Amino acid sequence: MKMFEEKWTAWLDDQLSGNELTQFEASLPDLEAARAEKREARKLGSFLKEQLRSRKMSNEEFFSHQVHERIAGERKDRSRTGSTWWTIPRLVWCGATALALFVLTTFLFLSREQAGEQSEYLTQILNSRVDPVANPNAAVYIFETKTDNRVTVLWTEGLQSLPADYAAK
Amino acid sequence: MQTESTPAQADVSELELVRRCQAGETDAFDQLVTRYRTRVFAMIYNMVHNDQDAWDLAQDAFVKAWKSIGRFRGKSSFYTWIYRIVMNVTIDWLRKRQVKAGGAEFNDAIQSKEIDPASKTVPKADPLPHQRLEQHEIRARIDHAVSQLSPEHRAVILMKEIEEMQYHEIAETLGCSIGTVMSRLFYARKKLQNSLRDVYEDV
Repeated sequence: MKMFEEKWTAWLDDQLSGNELTQFEASLPDLEAARAEKREARKLGSFLKEQLRSRKMSNEEFFSHQVHERIAGERKDRSRTGSTWWTIPRLVWCGATALALFVLTTFLFLSREQAGEQSEYLTQILNSRVDPVANPNAAVYIFETKTDNRVTVLWTEGLQSLPADYAAK
Repeated sequence: MQTESTPAQADVSELELVRRCQAGETDAFDQLVTRYRTRVFAMIYNMVHNDQDAWDLAQDAFVKAWKSIGRFRGKSSFYTWIYRIVMNVTIDWLRKRQVKAGGAEFNDAIQSKEIDPASKTVPKADPLPHQRLEQHEIRARIDHAVSQLSPEHRAVILMKEIEEMQYHEIAETLGCSIGTVMSRLFYARKKLQNSLRDVYEDV
């Protein structure tokens, strides 16, 4: 439901039609006075257009130049801000990468060291128990599971026996 | 709304220019500035009535437009889009100035209550024969009358009467409903008729 002001404005601007126009004009107490005011409003519109349209900008080219300069300045500031901003995450990334590399290297180094110790120890035991005369084709296979570092599974072929006091650790 | 070239030509080249601006080409934006600077300046001048302020605000509006051109999706014309920025910048500025001045400049609220919507209004000032009114005097009268309107009412009457924008375009530009636009237009017209009748009847 339009308010009176909205209907009046629409009527002034010839935006009402059909039933809406008929009903609105019928609702006006003095249609002739309203039409006179409509003409007056139109006159005001033409007058404003004629008077206010004439305003010209001086130094148009300088205006454009200034806008251009300000935009160039903004871009420079933005890129400067951007490079400053970039150094912080870059430092973070560098630090994180260095830390990750250090952790990985340490882990690999320790793993190799542990695996080397175990292999050497077990190989010594196993080799000592292989009898090359009785079992000339004997072979030793060692399977080590890493899911639990305390467990080592051995599968041997041609091995006569393990020392009684040996518990695979 | 008025355009300086045919709508089809303007739309095509305008969209192309906008696309180039979005790709970072400042030369394309220069062309848009050249195309709209006069109208933008005139619109702002009619709102603030001062050359230097209008110049600065027009600059601010264009720089702001450049910064946010990446967000322009082409749902409205570029002109409507930049007009929204122009209006926001100008209305904000007027509001800040009003706060600094203690809020005494605009008296729309009082006037709206005083105007009988259906009344035929009577000129406040004594009529002056148009022969005695120089052009700058007429302009001064208009500027004074317009300055008595709130920024929103100024914007609506100027967009409607000078820029010949449709209700929906004005509503889109100002971010309000069409009903609000029509209502503001009603009061702005009444008030300007009240203040300027003697001038425009004689000229």
